[in-house]
This record gives sequence, structure tokens and C-alpha cells, in this order.
Amino acid sequence: MSSKATIYSFLILGLAVTALLIVAPVVYAVSLSFYQMDSFVGAPKWAGLDNYTRMLSQWVFWRALINGFIYSFGTIIFQVVLGIGFALVLNQVFPGRNIVRGLSILPYLLPTVVVVLTFKWMVDGSIGVLTTMMSAVGLPQVQWFESPGAAMASVILVSVWMWTPFVTTTFLAALQTVPSSLYEAAKVDGTNAVQRFFHITLPMLKPILTVIVLLRAVWMFNKFDVIWLLTQGGPVGATEHLAILSYRQAFGQFDIGGGAAVATISFAILSLVVFIYFRLFPLDTE
Amino acid sequence: MAEVRLNTVRKAYGGQVAVHGVDLHIRDGEFVVFLGPSGCGKSTTLRMIAGLEEITTGTIEIGGRDVTRLEPKDRNIAMVFQNYALYPHKTIYENLAFGLRMRKMDKAEIDRRVKSASAMLGLDPYLERKPKQLSGGQMQRVALGRALVRDPDVFLLDEPLSNLDAKLRVRMREEIARLHQEVGTSMVYVTHDQVEAMTLANRILIMRDGHVQQVGAPLEVYDRPANLFVAGFIGSPEMNLIEGHLERGALKAGGLSIELPPGIAVAEGTPLVLGVRPEHIGVGEAPGAHTFHVAVIEQLGAQTLCIGEVAGVRLRVLMDRTDAVRNGTTLPIQFRPGRLHVFSKETGARINRADADVGRRPAA
Repeated sequence: MSSKATIYSFLILGLAVTALLIVAPVVYAVSLSFYQMDSFVGAPKWAGLDNYTRMLSQWVFWRALINGFIYSFGTIIFQVVLGIGFALVLNQVFPGRNIVRGLSILPYLLPTVVVVLTFKWMVDGSIGVLTTMMSAVGLPQVQWFESPGAAMASVILVSVWMWTPFVTTTFLAALQTVPSSLYEAAKVDGTNAVQRFFHITLPMLKPILTVIVLLRAVWMFNKFDVIWLLTQGGPVGATEHLAILSYRQAFGQFDIGGGAAVATISFAILSLVVFIYFRLFPLDTE
Repeated sequence: MAEVRLNTVRKAYGGQVAVHGVDLHIRDGEFVVFLGPSGCGKSTTLRMIAGLEEITTGTIEIGGRDVTRLEPKDRNIAMVFQNYALYPHKTIYENLAFGLRMRKMDKAEIDRRVKSASAMLGLDPYLERKPKQLSGGQMQRVALGRALVRDPDVFLLDEPLSNLDAKLRVRMREEIARLHQEVGTSMVYVTHDQVEAMTLANRILIMRDGHVQQVGAPLEVYDRPANLFVAGFIGSPEMNLIEGHLERGALKAGGLSIELPPGIAVAEGTPLVLGVRPEHIGVGEAPGAHTFHVAVIEQLGAQTLCIGEVAGVRLRVLMDRTDAVRNGTTLPIQFRPGRLHVFSKETGARINRADADVGRRPAA
């Protein structure tokens, strides 16, 4: 086989897999949003843009959109700040460092359902360890899943707890690529530890930071399992974001077209955000 | 500008001693090179002067001030690192200005100093570039410039040329020598390259396994190596070292008998090592000449290095360039007593009189 033929055969194979696994479902999902359907077996009825206008005119849609942004920003800020902080600590030399490094990744390895159930037990109104501790120090009992603010706080808290290790590990790996001589040169140049963080560490982490923020943003904006398992979007939609709304619309209200429309809008918003993000923070910093 | 004093400076990592106690007085404006193989403690000693390594015992003074417990920034030193350690996200101008900005220097003064250093080092066209856009030699010049703008009491250079190719290394070596002449600041320079040491230094400090072997001017360590290690380390091609014992004023080694310089005050039969540089072996007929059997020829351009043996003893002989010598040729050679170095085999220490006139060419 000539080298050109080899290249084309790999290219065609790759494109075929992409088309089958990514393009086809997306096209199918988008196309669903133009039909009125109450199940996947019935005959779809062409609806044009009705599903979009219907969904966009509903308050639940805008609430879900705002909730999605609150949840994404909240989780990303905490994950990144804590992740960098933990990475800096784990990058220091101390006895048992390797064991601590190993343990720090544990939350990321646990299945979401285990993490969620553990958290539910921790905040259980009668036997929860967190509830008991809070009442022991005289703090009022928090209704974690009943007040809107506390429910959002708890989904953010659990998400941060679960995914900060990923951010920590990534930053830790990046920190180890920063040559120690840069810090030494900066010491000779008269910097203190805080100045070294802002003049050396942070700029050196910037490429990784750019990617991490983007990845976390995409994952968090679409995150379904944690919220569904913890609150199912409640109480009264306080933690419902677009992914949950789309699911509830399609499989709870049997409005498949509406659910698909929400998913399509969510996809478009995310694409726009990613586009703007790359314009603002190009990966190639040269 | 200032003098630097190391008072029995020692460094240990747990039980492992890296530097066994260095005493050194670097005079104001002097260029001192720390020379030795990898792991000999030369970089550690430099880093202790910089304040980047804690000192286990001993004290360091810079300009008469005890800096032993001071932070690097408070020692008024500037350092050039082997891998340049330029800030990759800052422009060359910012790299040069950073140390001054951190010291809250007046903006106009920073600009004046940066411009002056960049003119001195030919960096003007690159000031707005990032380090990645420069070649190795240019990056090294920026690293030198960063030290220069600070106008420090002492420059510390840690193997600054080892990442450069051979040709560039020679050019940068000349540039560093010129820089030292122009600014006149004390410099401490670490290298494992004896040519850099010989060409740049006012004095060389030679280290091995954390111990100082010898401190002296370049020609002094070449002419009068204090021990077998220095004898073998300084000089290229390497000095011939012939093991034997003292017998009636001569060294007996196998079938070879070499007359030794006077003043070897050791007992008859003492095991000795005789050192003779390949360039100090005379070639030509003379009374008492030995027969040298050439086995390998290395043409170096201006000189010819012959490797072979004399009476069963392996020897390197360096002579003026010749095409006449072939493998298998025999040459008459002589050892001149005035050019021999005699060492104790047991301790490795030099035992000929210190004032022997080894290495000095007679005035024409």
C-alpha cells in the first residue's frame, strides 16, 4: 500500500467512527428538537421551531440556565483554588508525602453514587456525623436539601469534594515541570514566597490552568449524576440546570421534542462559551 | 565590589558530607574558578555562597559582612545558572529588569541599567522577545545581563557554558573574560572544564569528594600539582603517571630507570608515582635516552600525540606536528629531571620540592 493510501485509510476509519459515535447522535438529537413526540415509538409530528419558542418562553428554562452557571462557576472556582493550594502543599517535601499524595486522589476514584450516599448519611437529620458535630458546637441544624441555597451549596460541595483531586493531580504534575532554578533565580532577584507564586508558579501553570478551567466548565455544565442523585434538581427546581431540565422534559413530561430543544440550546451555549474562551485565552501563548 | 571569605564552610546532608570544610579568601575583583569532577562539591559550595544551600557549619562573609544566615536576596550577589533560568513568560527586558523591580528601584534607573547592560552584551535587538525566541548563546548573554544590571558585590556562575556547543563556548568564555575586565567585580565560577578554568581564572580551587585539593593560579596548579588527583585532572592530554619505587636517586619501574630531581627526601625502596606531562618528554638522541615504541598516533593539528610504551611502561608523548612518525616507529626520548613530578604512592601527595622549576620554559 502506498503511504497516501495508508493515510487515507486511517483517516476514513477515524472519520467513520466519529460519524457513527458522535455526529450521528448529535444530528439525531438536534433533529428530534424539530418534532413533537411523546415517546420514541410513536410517529413524530413536524413542529418546526415550536419546541424552541415554547421552552424559551418558560421561566424554568431561564432558571435552569442560571442554575447551570451558578453551579459551574461555583464548582470551578473552588476546584481550581483548592486544587492549586493542595498541589502546592503536596509539592513540598515532608515525611509520608507519597502516601498523602496517593490518598488525596481517593475521592476521584469513588463511584458518584457512593460519594452521594456518604454525603447524605453525613448530613442526615438524626444520625449524620456532620449534623451531630454542628449541633455539638451549637450551630443550627441545616436542612441541606430543603432550602434552595443549602441545596445548591450541597451539590457544589459534593462536586468540589469529588473532583478537586483531579485538579490537584494535574497541577501537581505541572508543578513538577517548573525548573527549580527559576525559583532560585527569583530568590536571588529578591522575591518573597508570594511574589514567587505570582511571578513564577502561576504563569508557569497558565497553559494547564487554561485547559483545566475549560474541561471542568464543560464537564460541570453537563454534570448530571451528582445533582440527580442528591436533589433531582429540587427543591422546587433550585438545583435544576439544563441537563436535568432536558431529562425531566423528555422522560418525565414525555415531551421528547422539548427535551431535545433544551439539550440543543445547551450544546449551542456551551459551544459559544468555548469559542469565546479560546479567543480570550489562546492555548498557544507565544 | 567586595571580597568574599569562606571560613571552614561545611555541608552535610544527614550523615552524608558533601563539602568537608572550605577555607578561602577571594580578593576584591578576583576571578576564582571552582574546578572538579561531577559530585565533588563545587556547585554546593557556590550555592552556599549564594544562600541557596544552608551551611551546616562555618561562616561566609561578603564585603566584611557575615552573610551566613542571610537570604540570597540580602547578600547582594547575582547568579548565572547552568540552564540560564530565564523567566519564560517575561520578555528579555522584563527578565533583565525583574531583580531591580523587586528591589523597588526607580523606573528611570532600571531603564538606564537595562539599556546599558543590553548594549554591553549586544542584546538591544532582542529586548522585546521572549527567551524561547533566542539561541542558547543569546539566552546565556541575557542570564549574564540579569546579573550585570544588579551591580552586585560578587557574581556567582554555575557552569554557565556547559549547555552551549563547543564553538559558542569559546566565544562566551572570551566574553565573560572581557566582562570581568570591564566591571572588575569579584567572580566565582564553577566548571568541570579545565580549559575554562585555566583560561578564565586568577586562581583555581580544585575539589574532589568534598575536599579542597589545591588552590592556586592556573600555571601554579599546572606546574606544581599538589597531589596525584590534581596532576591527573589538570592538563590535556593527561599527565603520564608511572608507578615504581625509589632506587639510588632514580625511579625504578619495570625495566625503566628514570633519574629523579634532587631533594626527594624519602627512604630507599619507597613506592612512588612519577608524573610527567606528555609535552615535557624530550624527543631526540641524547645520552641516556630511552627507546619509545609508538603504537598509536593521534594528529591534533599543531601537535602529534604518540601513544606507546617504553620498557613495558605505557606512555603518551606530545610533540610538534610531524608526519614522519608511524605506528611501530621507535623514538629516542628523555625525561628531564626538572620537569618531573614525584608523588607518594601511599598518600598521593607531591614530594618534590615546591620550588622545582617544572614546566617553565627557559628564557630564550
